[in-house]
Amino acid sequence: MTSFNQLISLFKNPSIRKKILLTVSGIFILSGWFFLGVMEAPFTGNALMIFAAVVAGYEIIQKAWLGMKNSQTNIELLVSIAAIGGISIGIYWESAAVTFLFLLGGWLESRTLKNTRKILKNLVELVPQTATIVRGKETETIPARQVEKDMLVLVKPGGRIPVDGEVESGQSSVDESAITGESIPADKNQGSKVFSGTINQNGRIFIRAGKVGADTTLAKIIKRVEEAQDAKAPTQRFIERFARWYTPGIVGLSVISFIFTQNIELAITLLVIGCPGALVISTPISVITGIGRAAKEGILIKGGEYLENAGKISALALDKTGTLTEGKPGVTDVFSLQPQKVPVDFDEEIPEEITKNEVLYWAGIAESGSEHPLARAILTEGKKRQEIPDAHSFQSHTGFGISARYSEHQILVGNPSFMDEKDIVVDEKAFQYIQTLSEKGRTVVLVAQNGELIGGLGLFDTIHSNAASAMQKLSEIGIEKLVMLTGDNNSIAQSIADEAGIKNVHSRMLPEDKMKVIEQLQLDGHLVAMVGDGINDAPALTAADIGIAMGAAGTDVAIESADIALMADDLTKIPEALRISKLTLRNIHQNVVIALITVGALLTGVFAGEVHMAGGMLIHELSVLLVIMNGMRLKWIK
Amino acid sequence: MKTILRSDELNCPSCVNNIESNLKGLEGIEKVTVKFNSGKIEVEHDPELVTEDDLLAAVMQSGYSAMVSPF
Repeated sequence: MTSFNQLISLFKNPSIRKKILLTVSGIFILSGWFFLGVMEAPFTGNALMIFAAVVAGYEIIQKAWLGMKNSQTNIELLVSIAAIGGISIGIYWESAAVTFLFLLGGWLESRTLKNTRKILKNLVELVPQTATIVRGKETETIPARQVEKDMLVLVKPGGRIPVDGEVESGQSSVDESAITGESIPADKNQGSKVFSGTINQNGRIFIRAGKVGADTTLAKIIKRVEEAQDAKAPTQRFIERFARWYTPGIVGLSVISFIFTQNIELAITLLVIGCPGALVISTPISVITGIGRAAKEGILIKGGEYLENAGKISALALDKTGTLTEGKPGVTDVFSLQPQKVPVDFDEEIPEEITKNEVLYWAGIAESGSEHPLARAILTEGKKRQEIPDAHSFQSHTGFGISARYSEHQILVGNPSFMDEKDIVVDEKAFQYIQTLSEKGRTVVLVAQNGELIGGLGLFDTIHSNAASAMQKLSEIGIEKLVMLTGDNNSIAQSIADEAGIKNVHSRMLPEDKMKVIEQLQLDGHLVAMVGDGINDAPALTAADIGIAMGAAGTDVAIESADIALMADDLTKIPEALRISKLTLRNIHQNVVIALITVGALLTGVFAGEVHMAGGMLIHELSVLLVIMNGMRLKWIK
Repeated sequence: MKTILRSDELNCPSCVNNIESNLKGLEGIEKVTVKFNSGKIEVEHDPELVTEDDLLAAVMQSGYSAMVSPF
């Protein structure tokens, strides 16, 4: 009795029931064939075929009935009418085949779609189930959802980070590919921000929890991706409208054909191919897969509509500061003023690079204790070239510079007026350097050691290292016009544009001006994307057909409002986002064509008397699978 | 109360209607949204009148298995 109950409960599970029904009906069809073809026993054979049709039809008729109760005519109803009609006019094996194929097709579709929805499932599974929290000297493992803000969380090497927060102590590198799509792990130490769902690689880190659960960046990404997948693309809406008329249209056609030809088999065959299966699934399958694929690479696309638009973009405008450039200063020039030591003999030459490094060395020592952005930039550049010790003492003079002592050396780093004030002689040679650098838009910092000017540095908001290659790629994928928009003056703007390889530059732009440039591009017939970050880009981002936000990880507003949000601060993701959109758009078109050709061919075939019920169903189901497979290609396609 | 169910078996957009109607047929249901692409089923209901299990049973009756999901 228990085993019978078990069987019943198995049968209640929809996916297991489908498998049982499919197997049983398949066996009936095979044995039916055996009796019909080999044994030449038509009675047994046909009986088996009817059984097969009833078994496979059970599920279909049930759904048809449900639909009718809800006053809807669904595909299942058409198939049911066709199967019952087939049996009543004595085409038993065709009826069996139609129901079996319909069930099999549905099952295969479910399985492949399950695969497609997996990308999202994988994202959900990134969030660890438990977290180790630190209370005084004790650690305790609790369910991750119980972690509260400001709790201290310990993550061991190899562990997943359960919350968004800040590293309180410890050092490690963290694989953030789930959030940013960057494959290179990011270094984390005290004060670094970390994200839930990323993987701690080689060190123990203690994290002060900031955001937990549904507030974390990962949860927001998941929510966004899901909403995006559900937002219907224009093509999808169009097709659904079409499908609403298509099915009743075919039913009508079937009735009319019967009236004129009195051929019931023709009429029910029409019902079978009246299912718009491939057509209705053609767009969603591409959109789900395309958006999922993009999300995996750290590119969040708001929905099918944006995906379709992004695939058609012909002009792209970029903000300069923080988009094309790092948005923070870096050392671009170093000059040395050290009196050239006269070589004693001819071979003993002092290479200039050493003296430049010395300038950076002394500047770095002086800046070692400062948090000023310029100081950070100088120290970073100096440390790239050599070890820099900390100053023994230092004093900042806000707005001017810094004075520091390192063993017996006195160091001064600051702007020209700071040097004036400290009675340091700025000679003609130094003055020329200052002038040339200022003309190039650089911020000039002078360095003096023991009362003598030894050199200086030029600092500039540096361009992203991959800006030029990203712009190159954009042209390659068919962006006709690249435009740079900036509030800066023309010489700075031009130098950045030249480096990036952008021909159209608009400088000294106010936020409204940026918007006007976008609108002009649209008037010229372009579909325009705008890439920006700050609030001053908001009008332009809104005016553009597609607004793209960079470096969105951790900034909720960007994730929620941008049409496309790039999680990493990586310019090469822009061409990648547009490329995936183009691929997806092409995929949608291919799918629609496959579906329409199938429908057309089937209709022609039926009226020409070449396609019968079983064959029609087979081709129909194959076209659905073909469309799904084609959509799934977007997962891997290069 | 809002309960979110997930099913990754939905295979044709027209099934969405079946699930929606079946759920709406239960007592104590305020709002039902079935999203085909993501397979997410959002139900606003009165937990006193209709439990999570009732919801799952209704989805199952439409021919699909589903799970309750935190978000």
